[in-house]
Parts: sequence; structure tokens; C-alpha cells
Amino acid sequence: MNPGLIPALDVAPLPGPVWLFQVLLVLTFFLHLVFMNLTLGGTLLAAVSRLLSGGRDGDHRTILASRLMRVNSYGIALTITTGIAPLLFVQVLYQQYFYTATILLGWIWFAFLVMLVVGYYAAYVFKFRFDGAPDKSIAGTLWLFLSAVLFLLIAAVHVAVNLIHAQPGKWAAIEANPWSILGDPAYFPRLLHFVLAGVAFSGLVVAWWAARRAAGGREVELNGKLARYAWRWALWATVAQIVDGVALLMLLPKGVLLGLMRGGAATMVPLTVAVLLAIGLLMMLSRVTDPVRQRGTVTGTLAALALTIAVMAITRDQVRDLYLAAARARFELTTAPQWGTFALFAVLLIAGLATVAYLVKRVLSSPATGTEAA
Amino acid sequence: MGYPIWDIAIGGGVLMAVVAVTHVIVAHFAVGGGLVIAVTETLALRRNDPELRQLAKRSSLMLILVSTVFGAVSGVGIWVVAGLVSPAAISALIHNYVWGWAIEWVFFFVEIVCAIVYYDTWGKISKRAHLLVGWLYFVAAYLSLVIINGIITFMLTPGKWLATHGFWDGFFNPTYFPSLLLRTGIAAIMASVFMVFPALKASPAFRGRILRYLGWWLTAGVLVSYGGYRWWEGVLPAEIKGLFLGASPALRQLATTRHFLLWALAATLILGVLLLLAVPRLARVVPAIVLMIAGFAFFAGFERVREGARKPFLIHDYIFSNGLLVSDIAAINDEGVLATAGWAAHDAGDSPVSRGRQVFRAECSSCHTLDGYQGIRRLLPKDPDMTMGVLAALSEMGDAYSELAPGQRVDMSNLDYPFMPPFVGSDEEMEELAQYLNSLAASSGTLAEKGAVR
Repeated sequence: MNPGLIPALDVAPLPGPVWLFQVLLVLTFFLHLVFMNLTLGGTLLAAVSRLLSGGRDGDHRTILASRLMRVNSYGIALTITTGIAPLLFVQVLYQQYFYTATILLGWIWFAFLVMLVVGYYAAYVFKFRFDGAPDKSIAGTLWLFLSAVLFLLIAAVHVAVNLIHAQPGKWAAIEANPWSILGDPAYFPRLLHFVLAGVAFSGLVVAWWAARRAAGGREVELNGKLARYAWRWALWATVAQIVDGVALLMLLPKGVLLGLMRGGAATMVPLTVAVLLAIGLLMMLSRVTDPVRQRGTVTGTLAALALTIAVMAITRDQVRDLYLAAARARFELTTAPQWGTFALFAVLLIAGLATVAYLVKRVLSSPATGTEAA
Repeated sequence: MGYPIWDIAIGGGVLMAVVAVTHVIVAHFAVGGGLVIAVTETLALRRNDPELRQLAKRSSLMLILVSTVFGAVSGVGIWVVAGLVSPAAISALIHNYVWGWAIEWVFFFVEIVCAIVYYDTWGKISKRAHLLVGWLYFVAAYLSLVIINGIITFMLTPGKWLATHGFWDGFFNPTYFPSLLLRTGIAAIMASVFMVFPALKASPAFRGRILRYLGWWLTAGVLVSYGGYRWWEGVLPAEIKGLFLGASPALRQLATTRHFLLWALAATLILGVLLLLAVPRLARVVPAIVLMIAGFAFFAGFERVREGARKPFLIHDYIFSNGLLVSDIAAINDEGVLATAGWAAHDAGDSPVSRGRQVFRAECSSCHTLDGYQGIRRLLPKDPDMTMGVLAALSEMGDAYSELAPGQRVDMSNLDYPFMPPFVGSDEEMEELAQYLNSLAASSGTLAEKGAVR
């Protein structure tokens, strides 16, 4: 590695302690992952399901695509919104590495914005032009696939940036050929890791929702069928995830893997919890044969998956720090906390979340009556 | 300056301008639209006016499609492009204002949730509850402007921050309130020119009344914008104003843009009064597009003037547009620029011309392309012997900057090239840069030569 290629630290001190930014980075990244899983995995699941159903009215797979994309037309907005915060905090903590990685990719990095706009509007085209309309043509499915493929490519770009920013030793080679990052042994397993998590999460959300509706007596047969179908996707995506997860762990550079093992409770607890949760998830997924009757297990499985994602977000952050340990040892971060403005942020964050909670409560408790429903 | 350099043929500044201008237009519509839609629905409820209600409803679809999609993505786009083109500068900004941006994110999050709920619950929840969502949307959207306005204006007029580095000293800087007033007016203009399109869908019997209603919003927006702009100009420090408002402005292009934006504002008012207030029956899609373009032209012109007035800085008196910190000038002059710019040094090679090319990339390429925007080839002196003279003058400017005490400002009117960062580096590097520039002037400008900058 040519150490001269790592840009100097910003002369301005960090306006808060490192741990605080790390907590915020992991927390907001987790939030982003929840919506991102629905955007990426949900759109993929919707596209494949609609292809399998041929767009037939009443087919549970057509309805699954429809429901997922109704959620996603707003979910994508929340994916972007929740993605802004981790993008902010990663720039504060890893500026030298992050900016360098994005510049080395140049137009490839910029292209994710274009793909996001097109993918998002494609989802809206599906919603407004094809969803609910009697349509057996392939056009609606193609719009869905356009959206799904673009989201997949966005994930591919982000995985590339993450692998590049964590490995300054590869920067000179990446400058010569940005596509060489595809040859990183961890690249495709890592991309697959996100895709499988997205599919499993989306499948579980659909199954949970359909099971609730069926239990409430609404379209019992259809919702039961839909729940079982989505459940199978979640199950098999998780089986594949466990294989991929083990491969990803083994493909980590030796120093990073050893760092994880020797990191004591700080690294081993999250990793062990994540592995145990993954095994538990698989057991719960395989035990459920009828999601409508086994709603308690369904809810528990969804909660366990959300927890797994949260714990994996911690491990992911630790893996990044282990990748960068040698490079970062050369720099000394200085801090000059702006506690006053941080406190304002914290208060406003709580107030903002409270406002959203109040809003949801008020909306749910204020149905339109009589002429208002016009 | 230690970052890799992204070679982009159209120029990083052009890409930034395209992304930023389209974003601010949409973002101001998101704020102004919030106000106009909330007021419109309130009036519709009080007067039991279904036509006004329809206007609010149709406009909310536009808000969703334009703001939550394009607005959100292009907002991220500004960070993305800034990180590609000016990583050191955006890093400096984020290091100082991360909590400001975090606060803005909270408001943006609430804004987006409210926008989604507002659009999706027409006719599904009580009218009062729906109205509440609309007003919450506007409050959140406006508060996000209140925050981001502090960061944007800080870049042009950091005020006391230069001496104290205090968050609020930079936030409530000299142009903060004039800019907030101006942007509030702009938000109303953007809302009016966008909402004319849903208004055109009103039934013919009511269209005139709805258009007149929007006409008053547009007129108010123009008047507030004009007042805000004049106030903003009035509080600009003399050396910045002198660049484009002086008896002999150094940036003539900027002075022209200033005239252009004021005429565009006048055109917006005249067209608005004519199409919306005086003769609404003339309002059709094409005239509405012309009105919208006039409004956009004013806003884009202002953004161009604001960005141009900041030249050659990204944060005035602190960091230049090429990522050079004012505080680093003396040290880089001692050590050499290639000792600081690791990536440029990595690609430098041994020949003076190739080293000069890397000095160019490190110091000049954030503003100058080879033959495109601010193309360096056509800006070079005709006499190659003068190139060193220009570089020496640029280097001397560095002395004027580096001798400043913290918080002091250079009298830019005394500089030879007030709109350019100083040259920094060793005498040898200056000679190498001159050789490279002269090799460009001597070449024919073939495609092969364009590749040489890479």
C-alpha cells in the first residue's frame, strides 16, 4: 500500500466523540436497512412473482406484487430519507476513505442517482398504469423488472464503494481499472448477502400481513395462500443466506477475521448473537406450515429477523474498522464536541419521532365520515 | 488536495450546477407548495369550496411525484457530486455543520412522512385531521429550509465564525435573514408556477377564479423575493459586492447574470399578472410553461450569482474551490504541492510536462477543463513567456491570503485575479505547470491531447 494515497484528515476536529457518531451511524443504517430490504428485496420478489403469475387477476402472486409495490411506492421514499443520515455520518467518520472510493468509481458512483430516479419512477409507472388494471401483457412485469434490476445495480455500486473504501491497499489497482473490484472475493457474496436479506425480510413482511388479514376474516383463502407462498420465499432465502453468510465470513481477509475472533466480547457477542439468531430464524421458519394459524411464530420470526439485521449492522461496522485498522493508525482524530447543537438534534429527533407517532395515531383514529369520504 | 481527481470532460462545476439548480427548484416548490396547499385546503374547508379542495388535492400528487422522488434523490445528488468534485471542501463543511445537517434530516424525515400520509389519505380521514397533516408538512418543510439556509449562507459569508469557529456564529451570519426572506419568496413563486398546471385542470367555470387565486400568491412571492434579494445584496461585504457590482466589476459575466435575474423576476411578475390575474383565459399549457421558465430563470440566475460571488472560495476566506485551505498556503509553498497531493504525485511521472499536468489537475481542474467549460487552452496567454508571469501573480496572491490573521479578510479588489485561488507550490512546480500549459497552447487541441489531461 502506498500510504501517500490516503488523503490527510480534515483539519477541523470532529464535532462529537467518535463513539457517538458510530452509534448514530449504526442506528440510522439499521433504519435504512429496514426500508432498503423492502425496496430491493420487495421489488425483486414482486417482479418474479408477477412473472410467475403471468399477471393473472386474482392469482395470489399477482396480488403479492401489487401489495408490495403499493407499500414500496412510499417505502422507496423512506429508503432514501433514512439513507441520508448514515451517508452523513459515514462522511464524518470515514471521509478520507469514503470520498476516495467514490472518486475512484467516478461516473459509476454518480450513476446510482440516475438509476434511483428511473427505478423509482418505474415503480410509480407500475402502480399507476398496471396495478389493479386487468392486464395480462408483459408490460407491467417489465416495468417491475426495470425497477428491480436498477435497485440491484444500486446495491452493486454501494457494495463496491464499501469494499473499496475499506481497502486502501487496492486503491492504485482500482484507479487503473475500477471494475477490478468485481474480482474481490468478498464482492459477490456480500452483494448476495444484501439481496437475500431483502427477499427474506420482504417475504416475512408479506406473510405477516397476509396472515393478519386472514385471521381477521378478510379474503381468508387468498391471504392464507399468499402467506404460505411468501413464507416459502423467506425460508429458502434464509437457507441460502446461512450458506452465503458462512462463505462471506470465511472470505474475509485473514487479519479481519482474526480481529473479529480476538476482539473479545465487543466483537464476539454481536457475531455470536447474529449466528444464533440466524439458526433460530431457520428453525422458526421451518416449523411454520400454516402462517395463519401460527401467527405468534410468524410475528416472532419477523422480530427475530429485524433483530438479526440490527446485530449484523454492528458487526458490519466492526468489520469495516478492522479492515481500516492499519490505515487509520497513522492518523489521530481530534474532537471538539458541539454538545449544545447535538442536544438540540437529540431533542428534535425525539420531537420528530413523537410527531410522526402522533400523526399516525391521529390518522388512524380519524376515519372519514359521510360526505368527507368523497 | 490529497484526494484523487475526477476528470470530467464537462467540468465538475457544470455537473454540480445542473444537479444543484434542479434540486433547489424542486426543494423550494416542496416548501412553498406546502404552504400554498395547506392554506388552500384551509380556505376550501372554511368556505366549503370544492374547487379549491381539488386544487390542493391535485397539487399534492405533484408534490409526491416531484418532491419525494426527484427532490430527495437530487438532494443526495448534491452530496454525491460535491464528494466527487470537491471532497475536501464538503468534508470541511460537514465537519463543522454535521449537527445542522442532522437536524435538517429530522425535519426532512417528518416532511416526507407527512407528504406520504397527506397524499394517501384524501377522503379517507376526517377533513380536520387531513388539514393537520398538511400544516405539519409545511412546518417541517419550512424548518428544513430554516436550517439549510444557515449552512448555505455560511459558505458565502461566514462572519464571526472565521475567528471563533462557533456553530451559531457561522449559522446566523450576515446574509442569513435576507436569504431566508428571499428563499421564502422564491418558495411561493415555485409553488405558484408549478400549481398553475393542476389549476388548468379545473372546470372552465371555475378556472379563472382558481388562477387568480394563484396569481396573488405569485405576486406576493415576487415582491418578497425582490425585497429579499435587495436586502441580500445590501448586506454583502464590500469586497464581494465589488466583484460583480463595482464600477468596474471583475466578474462581468456575474454582473450580466445579475441584470438577467432581475429582468427574469420582472418577466415573472408581468407574465403572472397578465396570465393569472388580468386575463386568466389566456392561461394555457404553453403560456404556463413560459411563466414557469421565467420563474426558474430568476431562481437559477440568483443561484449562479450567489455561487459566483463566492469565488474563489467554497467557504469564504477559509477554503478555496480547489480544496486548498487558506491556512495551508505557506506550508504548501515550502513543501511543494505534489508533496501534499498524494494522488497527483502518484501519477506524476518524471518529465516536467507530466509533473506540470498533475499540478494542473491538483490545483486547476476543479474549475478548468481543457477545452470545455472554462477551457484552459483558450484562456492561456498568447505569448508563452507570459505564462510564468501570470503564475507568479497568482502565487503572490497566496502571500496576501497567508499573511492574514484569523478572522481577517483580504481586500480582493487589490488582487490581480480575485476570482481565482492562488498558485501554491514550489518554484520548480510553477515552472513545470508553465511548461505543461505552454505545451497545451502549442498543441492543436486534438482528441489525443484531450486525453493527455487524464
